[in-house]
Amino acid sequence: MIKLINISKKYNDLELLRDFNISFERNKITCLFGPSGVGKTTIANIVAGIVPIDKGRIEGIENSLLSYVFQEPRLLNWYSVYDNLDFVLKDVYPSDKRVSIINNYLSMVELLEYKNFKIDALSGGMEQRVSLARAFAYPSDILIMDEPFKGLDYKLKQEMISLFKSMWQKSKRTVIFITHQVDEAIILSHTIYKLKNRPIDIVNKINVNNNIEEIKNLLLT
Amino acid sequence: MKNSIIRNKNKLLIILFWILIWEVLSLIVNQEIYLPSPTSTFSALLNLLCEKETYITIFYSTYRTLTGFFISCATGIILGYICGINKFFYNLLNPLVVIIRTIPVMSIIIIAIMWFRDTNVPIFVAFLMCFPIIWTNTVTGIISTDIKILQMCRVYKIRKIRIIKSVYFYSALPYIKSAMISALGIGWKVTSAAEVLSLPKYSIGRFLYDSKVYLEIPSLFAWTIIIIFLSFIFENLLKVLFKGRVV
Repeated sequence: MIKLINISKKYNDLELLRDFNISFERNKITCLFGPSGVGKTTIANIVAGIVPIDKGRIEGIENSLLSYVFQEPRLLNWYSVYDNLDFVLKDVYPSDKRVSIINNYLSMVELLEYKNFKIDALSGGMEQRVSLARAFAYPSDILIMDEPFKGLDYKLKQEMISLFKSMWQKSKRTVIFITHQVDEAIILSHTIYKLKNRPIDIVNKINVNNNIEEIKNLLLT
Repeated sequence: MKNSIIRNKNKLLIILFWILIWEVLSLIVNQEIYLPSPTSTFSALLNLLCEKETYITIFYSTYRTLTGFFISCATGIILGYICGINKFFYNLLNPLVVIIRTIPVMSIIIIAIMWFRDTNVPIFVAFLMCFPIIWTNTVTGIISTDIKILQMCRVYKIRKIRIIKSVYFYSALPYIKSAMISALGIGWKVTSAAEVLSLPKYSIGRFLYDSKVYLEIPSLFAWTIIIIFLSFIFENLLKVLFKGRVV
């Protein structure tokens, strides 16, 4: 279990978190749900170590490796698709092993034939698939996904969701998934935290079961 | 193909227009000592191009300009990287660069004449004039590195040395390239100026100086045309070289 305990965080005079507590179950997908600007990314960035905290402690991430699918792909435009994956794997795998891992994950996201393409030559959806392949190819214990399907059209979004599900089935890890889309939250998550802001707080902790209508109502009200 | 012919035709017409203006002005002034005509200038240029010494002179002046330029590139890029990444080194070096940038070229040339052998004066001056441009642009390029990419590197625990090699380097590259193109042009100007005052044996500056002393103004103009041509050629060579590379 990953636990954020009594976390406080201020940006200048703006109090974002006050004695905030939340936990994420190991090898499950936990969703942070709430409207834009509620502070979901802040919580994820605290776990990722990008945002420092003022007070509190984080348990369960010691010695853990982390990967992140950001809202925007954050790829190195001057490198090829292959080299972008190679860039993050260089310090964790020997070179012969890297080749097969990268090819395997690029094939999963159906980009193997594009492996020598420069990032600039790819579409937005393809870039996001590279970002997903990078996150899964990296041997992380925790995977953060911050609205990874934002800006994608409906068809592409459905493809990406099923792609993510199949990749997660093959390589299960603790996922913190951020969204403000009800359908994404219900389809992908085991647990959903509905959040409110100023300061950020949990309104509801919902275990996703078969009662979809009830969950929908809880999320929308 | 057709467009290229039209473009070249237009360029030629523009050049001919300015040569015509020059001809008209020289006719109005009517004194070769103040403004030689294009005809006498090109005749002087032709005479120069028929002499072996001209090419030896061009070789040595080019050597001085490029040596100063390359030293400034090497030091400017390396120190730019260090200062772009480390605030302490930036604060340490920035006042020195500001001072170098504001010192008049003539002061630097005269100081350099006191310190160095005649042939090394233009090299030192070219280095000192080009260095701030390269350094400043490198620092700007490093500072402009996308913070989001750096956050990604932090999440994936990428080692600092690899961030420098794979992220900072490529982020700063467009800035360094444009700085190198500007610096090379300035390099030619200041090398010639330094040669005029330090008078190394084979140097365009010495010929400029001699032309002035012996009132051979068409020759002065001819050497100036040679400098402009050399600067143009090297600047374009650099642009072609950069076009073939990434970013």
